[in-house]
Amino acid sequence: MPLPEFQRNYFQLFDLPESFELDQGQLGARYRQLQKELHPDRYAGASAHEQRLAVQYSALINEAYATLRKPLSRALYLMELAGMSGERVAGEQLDGGFLIAQMELREKLESMEDLVDPASALDHLTTEIRADVAELQTHFSEAYAAQRMSVAASACVKMQYLDKLLHEAEQIESRLLDR
Amino acid sequence: MALLQIAEPGQSPLPHQVKRAIGIDLGTTNSLVATVRGGRAAVLPDEQGEVMLPSVVHYRRDSVPLVGTAARDLGAQFPADTLMSIKRFMGRGAVDASDDAKRSHYRIAEGEQGLVRFVTSGGDFSPVEVSADILRTLRQRAVATLGGEIDGAVITVPAYFDEAQRQATKDAATLAGLRVLRLLNEPTAAAVAYGLDAAEQGVIAVYDLGGGTFDISILRLQRGVFEVLATGGDTALGGDDLDAALADWVLEQSSAPALTAGQYRQLQSAARAAKEQLSVLEEVDIDLSGVLPGGGTLKVTRERFESLILPLVKRTLRACRKCLRDAELEGGVDNIVMVGGSTRVPLVREAVSDFFKRTPLIDIDPDQVVALGAAIQADILAGNRPEGDLLLLDVIPLSLGIETMGGLVEKIVPRNTTIPVSRAQEFTTFKDGQTALAVHILQGEREMVSDCRSLAHFELRGIPPMVAGAARIRVTFQIDADGLLNVSAREEITGAQSSVTVKPSFGLSDAEITSMLQASFSHAPEDKLARQLAEQRLAAWQLLEGLKAALAADGDTLLDKQEREAITAQMSELQRLVDGQDTQAIRMQTDRLGRLSEAFATRRMDKSIRQALAGVSLDALDNEVSQ
Repeated sequence: MPLPEFQRNYFQLFDLPESFELDQGQLGARYRQLQKELHPDRYAGASAHEQRLAVQYSALINEAYATLRKPLSRALYLMELAGMSGERVAGEQLDGGFLIAQMELREKLESMEDLVDPASALDHLTTEIRADVAELQTHFSEAYAAQRMSVAASACVKMQYLDKLLHEAEQIESRLLDR
Repeated sequence: MALLQIAEPGQSPLPHQVKRAIGIDLGTTNSLVATVRGGRAAVLPDEQGEVMLPSVVHYRRDSVPLVGTAARDLGAQFPADTLMSIKRFMGRGAVDASDDAKRSHYRIAEGEQGLVRFVTSGGDFSPVEVSADILRTLRQRAVATLGGEIDGAVITVPAYFDEAQRQATKDAATLAGLRVLRLLNEPTAAAVAYGLDAAEQGVIAVYDLGGGTFDISILRLQRGVFEVLATGGDTALGGDDLDAALADWVLEQSSAPALTAGQYRQLQSAARAAKEQLSVLEEVDIDLSGVLPGGGTLKVTRERFESLILPLVKRTLRACRKCLRDAELEGGVDNIVMVGGSTRVPLVREAVSDFFKRTPLIDIDPDQVVALGAAIQADILAGNRPEGDLLLLDVIPLSLGIETMGGLVEKIVPRNTTIPVSRAQEFTTFKDGQTALAVHILQGEREMVSDCRSLAHFELRGIPPMVAGAARIRVTFQIDADGLLNVSAREEITGAQSSVTVKPSFGLSDAEITSMLQASFSHAPEDKLARQLAEQRLAAWQLLEGLKAALAADGDTLLDKQEREAITAQMSELQRLVDGQDTQAIRMQTDRLGRLSEAFATRRMDKSIRQALAGVSLDALDNEVSQ
């Protein structure tokens, strides 16, 4: 079943300006307002066709909200709107310094579980990674605003790397909790 | 679920009539039914004034099944014929369930497709059928109290139930003759019961320790929208395990030889009774006469009991910590709602209170709160409430994905994604000239296929032979508001398509349900025809009523003259047919009109979007943003 054909992109759907800087409060309020109108629960007594449509619209709104809410997916979506596919973004060259720093962070993570106090070491490391992420977001925002797409793309790739690291850190944390 | 529309032939549903809608909490230990009457949610008692129906069914030869207290009383005497804690077996295979069955002293047989069946002297029954017997009893109670057939029901399930367990629950309701308006997560239901009285804003944690399952959910309530932020838990941890921990300790103390099934049941009930008393008393004597060969009594202090259950309570707190992290909250939790009888245990309350640094809410009876919330949601879905009342946005509890090379799972929809959701991913062929692709759908958080739950297999055929990696296969997961999954695959270059509605192998097929229903209702053929006609008429009425309202509201602005005339012409035709007897003609005309009005419906949805945003005044937004 094809998705409903919106003429608008996700930003337009929520009536928000197309930029990386985003008012989360407005996004949330508009998301809830749209779901209040279009969620399948509002069509529980409607015809089968309308119910199906409501499921599709509601799913689209959820997808748009999930995409815009998180900085990384929002950045990738902006790149896509600018004509840079995920593959092209991923193909961006990275500087050697970043890659070496990545490897060091990864090694630290992998040896984490052998430490005496892994929980606080992990906490320390994730704080460090989050600070790097915040810095990259600023880089992205500036580069995107200045339409320097190649710089913006490399910031995206770096954010993806760090995102993966944070995800692994979470899994280690789960394992520590289960001990 | 067109099979069970309740309207009688010739009786068209009145558009604004109040619907009989019920909420059912199908619990591991007890089940309840509730409804909203005069604006208030209330649980419905049976003839003896009891609201809790023990989730126990007793089967014997040449007799109708006994459900509830009467069945439970026969448990010690006929353990294999008296099925309890059946919820633990829902949607599980025989191999998967054998340990639990052994503990409960059930005789199990492997049915079709590895389906578990219990062997009793009254016949073999699947967990779905046993649950249907419980649901049927509750339905009859509601019919008797409300004075007529039930228009729809909301059935609650643990948030952590997987696809197979949800499908099995829905099948059981269908089999019991209930039209399911929605499967609702238990913690969400509890939050709804509190949400209507409680503050309009805030973050709520629901800690639900039921008979057999533990759920933790974190929700945010904002401007009439309930958003589930994260959910977690343990499907195999509950009050039963607290009882078992105590029972096992008693056994250790007594050095008794192996117990018979009946003795073990009695020991379990003695442990449960002791647990309940220890919520108020500091120590109790467990009477073991008739339970253990030696008889006598055994003293248990609350301290001892707490040391026995502490590891279990800690397990729940670990799940809470994970769930809090998943919710990505900026502030803390404003309220904690306690659900399930086991939250009466003082240690549980203290531990939860310490963990969240808040005193838990216990205003609503923890045994009833889920059923009450389900009744409110049923009332909303049945259309008995003014619009804009309360909206629930729930999530899927477990990640969904497909198998890729090397036995790995590629996640397509991660857990805690808000539903409904539609998400697609592209795959390709890995061999030259490959013309088919097997799609294996899995659920779970682990990376290896062998560690996840297998939901379904299907095959996409007709891919033109190409070099490896040239085909573009788009796999789309669509999950509806019940959390049930539909998967389709399409080769983008040729358009070859294939899809499956995921009916886990442990559920029942539609055909099985239909035949079981027919057997249980034993309708005469003319009844069946009348029923089909009634269903088709109802669908036609729904479409006509909907279109009339839609035309009155938007016919002038969204349709040109020609479009409008085409629709009204087909409406008159359907109107003419609907009073006749030709089921097939009504069906065809309903379809035709549905297709014709498709574009109109889409335009109306688009208009709703524009209006929704125009309706958010800047003041309201500023207000919310500043909070």
